[in-house]
Amino acid sequence: MMRQLERPKPPVVVLAYAFIGVISLLFIYPYLWMFISSFRETEQILTEPLRLLPEALDISAYADLARLGGVSFWTYAVNSLLITGASTALTVMITALGAYALVRKPKLPGFRWLRFGFLLTIMYPYMLLVIPVYLVVFELSLHDTILGNYTGIILFLSLGPIQFFLFEQFFRSIPREIIDAAIVDGAGELQVLTRVVLPVSLPVVLTVTLVTFLLNWSQWFPVLVISRRPDTYTLPVALLNMNSELGTDFQGIMALATITTIPVLVVFLLTQRRVMSGMAAGAVKG
Amino acid sequence: MGTATLLWKHRIFYLFVVPFAALTIVFGLWPIAMSVQVSFTDSFTALRPNPTYIGFANYLTIFADPQFQWSMAITLIYTVLSVAANVSLALLLALVLHNPMVRRGSTLFKLCIFLPVVTPDVAGYIVWKWIYNQNFGALNALLDILGLPAFGGIADSATALWAILLAELWHHVGFYTVIFLTNLQIVDPELEDAARIDGARPWQRIWYVVLPQLRPAIMINTVYALIQFLKTFTVIVVMTRGGPNFATNMVSYYAYLKFDQAQYGEATAMATTLFVAVIGLAYLMYWLNARTDWR
Repeated sequence: MMRQLERPKPPVVVLAYAFIGVISLLFIYPYLWMFISSFRETEQILTEPLRLLPEALDISAYADLARLGGVSFWTYAVNSLLITGASTALTVMITALGAYALVRKPKLPGFRWLRFGFLLTIMYPYMLLVIPVYLVVFELSLHDTILGNYTGIILFLSLGPIQFFLFEQFFRSIPREIIDAAIVDGAGELQVLTRVVLPVSLPVVLTVTLVTFLLNWSQWFPVLVISRRPDTYTLPVALLNMNSELGTDFQGIMALATITTIPVLVVFLLTQRRVMSGMAAGAVKG
Repeated sequence: MGTATLLWKHRIFYLFVVPFAALTIVFGLWPIAMSVQVSFTDSFTALRPNPTYIGFANYLTIFADPQFQWSMAITLIYTVLSVAANVSLALLLALVLHNPMVRRGSTLFKLCIFLPVVTPDVAGYIVWKWIYNQNFGALNALLDILGLPAFGGIADSATALWAILLAELWHHVGFYTVIFLTNLQIVDPELEDAARIDGARPWQRIWYVVLPQLRPAIMINTVYALIQFLKTFTVIVVMTRGGPNFATNMVSYYAYLKFDQAQYGEATAMATTLFVAVIGLAYLMYWLNARTDWR
């Protein structure tokens, strides 16, 4: 009731909307510019950088992407899907089981050390970790075959802090009584996991799957470092390569950036509430 | 109960944890140990089976290297500026978005601000690189129309740091905003109402009533942002490659360059130094948090 006592004056409301509206436009503008520029010829952009609608739909840049750096466009696209999909599935299984064991039996010998080691790992400057990781990949001889490259990349991407904290937080919230009751009823630990814990965990599993998919789709450095040939490159790596080439195929870069961005935009827009609250919750825990 | 019996009794939990432990060791602890070890060896012999250990010589070399001192300095300055910019803008955005007077459309605004967080960073930074471009770029075209002086962007060593700060702000601020919004949901509205009845002006209510309740989120965001910006890397690779004239040659990029030049000892010494800085700051924050009663 009291909240109604003092209504904000109309000018204040207009001002607030103007502020947040302009900010939102500024945040969206790079996407618009990227998308529109991918349909405009380079000379046209040079003369009118701010034009909001393309003169004509010039799709030549997209057609030219068919072969990039001597590799078919579809190789990059399939790699992106394969590497992101496989690493997402593995992340969910591996971190869920790991976090579950660490939450259920934190006092078992070695478990505290494992958690500490994991926390240490996520504080190491990531990009500097990837280089010694290459040495490890070398030691495990995953470097000289394409299959080995895929394995190295996918396994490297299958561990993440936000995912671990989301699971840890969720498993801690399951009341002990439920699990104890199942054990009293004679359930083994495997049954507790599959019949008691798993059914209530589906929402958090879905959240972690979405967040991991979005995060791993963007990954580029491990892919670049572990890959020996462009055959295992993903879309962001192809984009980065195009960015570092001499000479500027501006329109082509914008077309590839658009293609790289659209899948995450679609997934995010369809699942935005879950993704935003999931990422916030995973961070708050850490 | 003996340890062996205990382990055997709980073998299923060890089974659960095996893949997680294996990845943590193989892709975390082992490479970190290797990297620390390499930092004490001579670069020429670093990758041989029997490297020559030279103690802290690599550390002495990098700390005497004016370029490294410069890198450390700009990394710290950039981190402080970025943390301040991201946390304060996120706080402002969250306070506006949380306010009931912009309820209509607030989901849309939130989406716009969060979208860059999930956008592949390479794609986002490439677009920003071109937005700053002197010939094609949208930014200078806009400034020109408004009659404002041109912005040097990433081409000018005086403005390059600000240019990447802005691009990173675009990419990250939505994340911090959502954390503030999560915290705002559990802020007690009755306290604010009580302050209002007592005649507190809006800014007084924010400063004395809302902000103290947001301390957990301020804390979390600051620690996250510190770790995030100390490790700044992708934006440099995509936009500036450390330039112009080393203006954006931050520690992680400089270490990467050293690694590329096979200066393994120096590169890993820099990495270890940065690692210690990150752990030290995170621990300091954790300690501050633990000894302060946030309520």
